[in-house]
Formats: sequence, C-alpha cells, structure tokens
Amino acid sequence: MTPQMQAFLVWLLWVAVIGIVFGIAVRGSSSSSPPAPERVDRMRLLMLLVLLVLAGFGLGLTLPRAPYPTAAEVPDRVVFVMGKQFAFALSEDPITNEEEYEEAIAYGSGVEVRRGELIEFRVSSLDVNHGFSLYSPDHRLIAQVQAMPGYVNRLRTRFSEPGDYSILCLEYCGNSHHAMRGVVSVR
Amino acid sequence: MDAFLRLENPTEAQRAYRRWTLLWLTTAFVLFAVVGLLGLLMRLNQARWLSLPPELFYAILTLHGLGMVGTWFVAGMAVLGQILQRYVNPSLRASQIAYFGTLIAVLLLLTATLIGRLGVGWYFLYPLPFYPSGVWPLWASWVFLAFLTIAGLSWTIWVVDYLRAIASRYRLSEALAWPVLFRGRELDVPPVILIATVSLVAGLIGLLAAVVLLVLYYLEGLGTGLRNDALLMKNLTFFFGHVLVNITMYLGVAGVYALYPGLSGKPPLKTKRYVAAAWNVALLLVLLAYFHHLYMDFAQPLWFQRLGQIASYLSSIPAAVVTIVTVLALTYGARGAWTPSRLFLFLGTMGWAIGGMAAVIDSTILVNFRFHNTLWVPGHFHTYFLMGVVLMLLGFGFRFVHELSGHEEPPARSLGWLVALGGYGFLAMFFYGGVLSVPRRYAAYPDEVASGATLAQLATVFVLLLLTGLIIYAWHYVRLLRQAWSSG
Ligand code: HEM
Ligand SMILES: [Cu+2]
Ligand SMILES: [Cu+2]
Repeated sequence: MTPQMQAFLVWLLWVAVIGIVFGIAVRGSSSSSPPAPERVDRMRLLMLLVLLVLAGFGLGLTLPRAPYPTAAEVPDRVVFVMGKQFAFALSEDPITNEEEYEEAIAYGSGVEVRRGELIEFRVSSLDVNHGFSLYSPDHRLIAQVQAMPGYVNRLRTRFSEPGDYSILCLEYCGNSHHAMRGVVSVR
Repeated sequence: MDAFLRLENPTEAQRAYRRWTLLWLTTAFVLFAVVGLLGLLMRLNQARWLSLPPELFYAILTLHGLGMVGTWFVAGMAVLGQILQRYVNPSLRASQIAYFGTLIAVLLLLTATLIGRLGVGWYFLYPLPFYPSGVWPLWASWVFLAFLTIAGLSWTIWVVDYLRAIASRYRLSEALAWPVLFRGRELDVPPVILIATVSLVAGLIGLLAAVVLLVLYYLEGLGTGLRNDALLMKNLTFFFGHVLVNITMYLGVAGVYALYPGLSGKPPLKTKRYVAAAWNVALLLVLLAYFHHLYMDFAQPLWFQRLGQIASYLSSIPAAVVTIVTVLALTYGARGAWTPSRLFLFLGTMGWAIGGMAAVIDSTILVNFRFHNTLWVPGHFHTYFLMGVVLMLLGFGFRFVHELSGHEEPPARSLGWLVALGGYGFLAMFFYGGVLSVPRRYAAYPDEVASGATLAQLATVFVLLLLTGLIIYAWHYVRLLRQAWSSG
C-alpha cells in the first residue's frame, strides 16, 4: 500500500467517525431529550483528551522521519538540478548560470544513476520557483523538493527499483508548468 | 420564531446597516456564482471535454482562486459586522469604503486576468509576477499589484473599524476573555465578541505582513535595484495567505455561534472558561502554523519545520472540539424543523471537521512529502471552504432574508441532499487525485497522471448536482430579496 493510500485511509476513518457522531446528533434531534450539561462537559473533555493523545502520537511517530538530509549519512553521488521556465537541467557537474544550464540541457532533461546508491539532488532555479518531483515507473510520487532561486535544496533518495523515474514540475511556474519535466534513469 | 437578526424595534441606523449587510451578501453570492462557474470550466478542461489555451486556463485559475478567497472573506466580514451590531457600533462608513474598494479591486483583477491574461496563481509566488514568459504584458502585473493594494487597504480599514467598535465597549483583555480564562470570573462578553477579536487581531497582523510584501514588490518593480530574497517573500506570502484563509473560517464560525443556538430553540451561548481557552490558543497558534506551507523548502531552518507541524496539529484541536461538541449538544434533543439555515450551519461545522482533518494529515511533514502540490491540497481547502464556511455563510444569508421579510423557511430536504452529495462527490475526486499523485494546477494532465482526467470527468457530474442545489437556494433567496430590503 502506498503511503498516500495509508494517509487516505486514516482520513476516511475520521470521516466515518464524524459521520456517525453527526448522524447520532441528527437522529437524536427529533427523538431524544437534551443531554445534561455535565454529560456534554465530559464529552468535550474526552474528545479533547483523545485528540491530544492522537496528536502526540502522530507527532512522535512522524516527526523523526521527516525527509530532510542529516549529517549522519554521506551520499554516494551528487546530481545537480537547475530549473528554468520550462525545463529541468540535470548534470553531475555544477550548474550555476544560464550557460551551464544550456550546456546541460543540450543532452535533454535527464540523468542516469545506479540503483541502490544514495543520491543527493542539489536543486535550485534560475528564475521562478519550480517543484522538483520524482515519479516511480508505476507513476507514484515518491519524493519532491522545491527549486527556489537563490537557494539550493538538497533532496536525498535511494532508488530500489530500476526504470525511468519521471520528473514533473510541482510548483506552479507559468504557462507551461504542466509540461515542465525531466527524467532520472535508474540502471 | 427566534429573531436574532430581526430585532424588535430597529433604529434607522440599524436598518441602514442591515441593508448594507444584505447588499454585501447579495454581491458576494453573485461573485460566488461567477467564479464558481469558472471552477466548473477548469474541471471541464482537465476532463479533456474542453480545450482552453493554457494561458487562459491559468488566468482563470488565478481569477477563481483570488476571487473565491476574497469573496468569502468579505462575506464573512459582512456577517460579522451584522452580528457585532447587536453589541457594539461598527461604522457604516467603513463598511461602505470597503465595499467600493472591493468593487474596484474586482474590476482590476478581472482586467489583469481576463484581458491581460495574467496567470500567477492565487498566491502569486514571488518572483513569478516578474516572469510572464511572454504571456502577459507588464501593465497586467501593475494592475495586479494595484488590485492587491486597493483590496488590502480597504479591508484593513474595515478590520480596524471593527476593532475600534469592540474597543469602545470592551477592554482588549475583556474582549479576549482573559478574566474568564485566568481568573475564572463570570464576564458579560458573548463568545462572538471573543471570536471576532481573535479573528480581527490575527487578520490585522496578516494584513501587516501583506503590506511588507507589497512594499518589497513595489521596490523591486520600480527598478530601485533591490532584488528580493525568495525565501523571505515566500514566508511573507504564506503567513498572510494562511492567516487570511483561516480567519475567514473563523468568521463563518462566528455565524454559527450567533445563530445556531436560537435555531435549535436554545438560549444564547456564554463564554465559558474552555471557550476562552480554546480561542486564545487559536490566536497564538494560527500565526505559527503557516510554516507547513514551506516544508518542501529544505533550506528553511529545521526548527521552523518542526514548529510548523506541532502548531498545525495543536492550533486546530481546541477551537474545533469546543465548537463541534457545542453544535452537537445543541442539536441533540433540540426538536424543531431542519430548515436550510439550520442544516447549512450544521453541515458547515461538519465540513470544518472533515476538511480540517485532511489539512492536519497534510501538515505532517512526512505526508506532505507525497501530497504537497497534489490535488489533495485543493481537496482539503475546498472542503473547509465550500462545505464549511460557504455553507455557514449561505445559512446565515438564508436566515437573514427570511427574518427580514418575515417569512418562515421552507423545509431543507432536496436542497440539503443536492448540496451535500454534489459537494462531497466533487471533493472526493480531488482527494482521490491526491492519492493517485495527480498534481494540482495542471491545465492538462500528462500520461503519468492521465487518471486525473477521468477524475475530473466524474467531478463535473457532481458539480452539476451541486449547482442544481445552489440554484434552488438562489431561487428562495432572490424571491425574498425585495421584501427583505424594504423591511430592512
Ligand atoms: C463552486 C464550486 C467550485 C469548483 C467547481 C471549484 C473548482 C476548482 C478547480 C478545478 C480548481 C483548480 C484545481 C487545480 O487543479 O489545482 C480550483 C482551485 C481553487 N479554488 Fe475552487 N472551486 C469551487 C469552489 C471554491 C470555493 C468556495 C473556494 C473558496 C475559497 C475556492 C477556492 C479555490 C482556490 C483558492 C483555488 C486555488 C487556485 C490556485 O491554485 O491558484 N474554490 N477550484
Ligand atoms: Cu516549473
Ligand atoms: Cu511548474
């Protein structure tokens, strides 16, 4: 199951709970007598406690697994990514200006890497914000980071399966935003 | 019949104020209809049943997004003014200035997007307005900046006036219910004053960030040689955007606190200690939660990111729990008919809970890594907007014209079903699009995410259901408008 589906199911569970609770209130709106204030207070406290515990649980479970690079790991390979309306240039050599961008893009918006290696993408932009994303060969979003002018964002990924990973632009950047793309070929 | 809005013997000033509220709401509903149809147009295009040129699609996206956010902010402010008017004296003049400011702003936005083809998206992320890639002329960017300036100024005047009105009767500490919160004292401050103060103070801080943002834009645009820092601009943009959207939600909630007890045959709510606590927490944390918009900017300091997740988790819980349990308790055993206004306020609260949880899930950094800028995002904000604030404010408007014209409300039945089914069906397609990794803001879907087109086709069907419901609503509303106006 994809992480997206897991998140979706958590939400659906919540929707079901809310649906039931609100449904009970609607049914009770014609047949029952009003609840005693103490019962309402108890329910409020209970709901608050349950949600706070769940929130604490969620924070403890997910915060340590945030996808930011750590000093503990050393990448096996560095790939430089530069965004510019409307294509990504990728290269194993640094891309810092228009010239290097044109040079890198002359071979197309792609790069080859080996499976199993820890790759560090150093992502930036020459004009506006773009969104650098990686779609697995079965078209699921597996990683992303913003490409921002004046900053370098470092995204680390390990590709476990070989194949072509599409890069789509995930930050609205103008007229051809939906056509701005690239590819990482994993061998 | 409870007559919270009607008043027994209104003064001439109160009647004039009521008419302006009616004018505001009617204007907002018309704008909603226009920009809502643009939403349908976008869905049709994504469904491949239409093929708009991309520059038109993105201009429409910008117009729809900003048009909707602005429309529901002003509708919420108008409703808040009407509620405040029970307790304090907001100035009619300030509301009128805001009204004409808003009209001019709308004209400027229409010009920039529909004539100029400016397509910067609703949050016009710096430096995109300066990089039109040959699509829109320079003047369109300037008209757009003028739109932001005029809207920002007139709304600031409006917000400041409400705060002035509140301050002339309550001290700030009272309006924030601190004596109740810290000393457990009984206090004659209704919850709507507390919610209003929280919203307005946060709104004012947000608008100040917008002023800084705009000044930086002007300085760069006027060729002073200033080159802005993209990360700083992004922080300012989302601080402002997040606060504006959140307080719009609170403005709708104020409508629930004001009307729902009466509609359920109960006395008005009191500001209990937990109510005071919840809304003060909301004020504190709503200002920090915006960091969740920048999770994918890895250059942002790590502690901001963590703070963003913690604040996002905690900011929503207290106010939502207090409001939801209150609404449920008012509903249970209340008897009385399910009129459209009562149903919409009820459903709106439910939409807040459902959309809010979708937002909390996405404010988890780990999850955001997979959902950021996918259709999950429009999924969650359309939920707490369309099925939350919009329903609350539509409910308020419905009640308003009925009370003013002295008519009983019709039963809710088909209206309620059409809106709920159409609305949630439309939203489900956004959410599932997020699950399938379909990006947001794509005029056309590439092969990897072609499923997005199928989902858009299904969505249009649900939008049509929703539309039918809204047409029924409009029919009831318009029918009573003249009478409501003359008796108002
Ligand atoms: C009437 C029903 C509505 C329909 C059919 C609709 C449809 C849409 C569509 C198709 C998009 C583009 C999604 C994407 O691909 O990114 C969109 C974006 C948006 N909508 Fe709606 N919408 C509706 C109501 C609302 C409401 C009530 C609001 C209230 C604030 C709203 C605010 C927005 C915003 C802020 C955006 C994002 C614009 C951007 O990305 O720049 N919409 N809507
Ligand atoms: Cu791009
Ligand atoms: Cu883009």
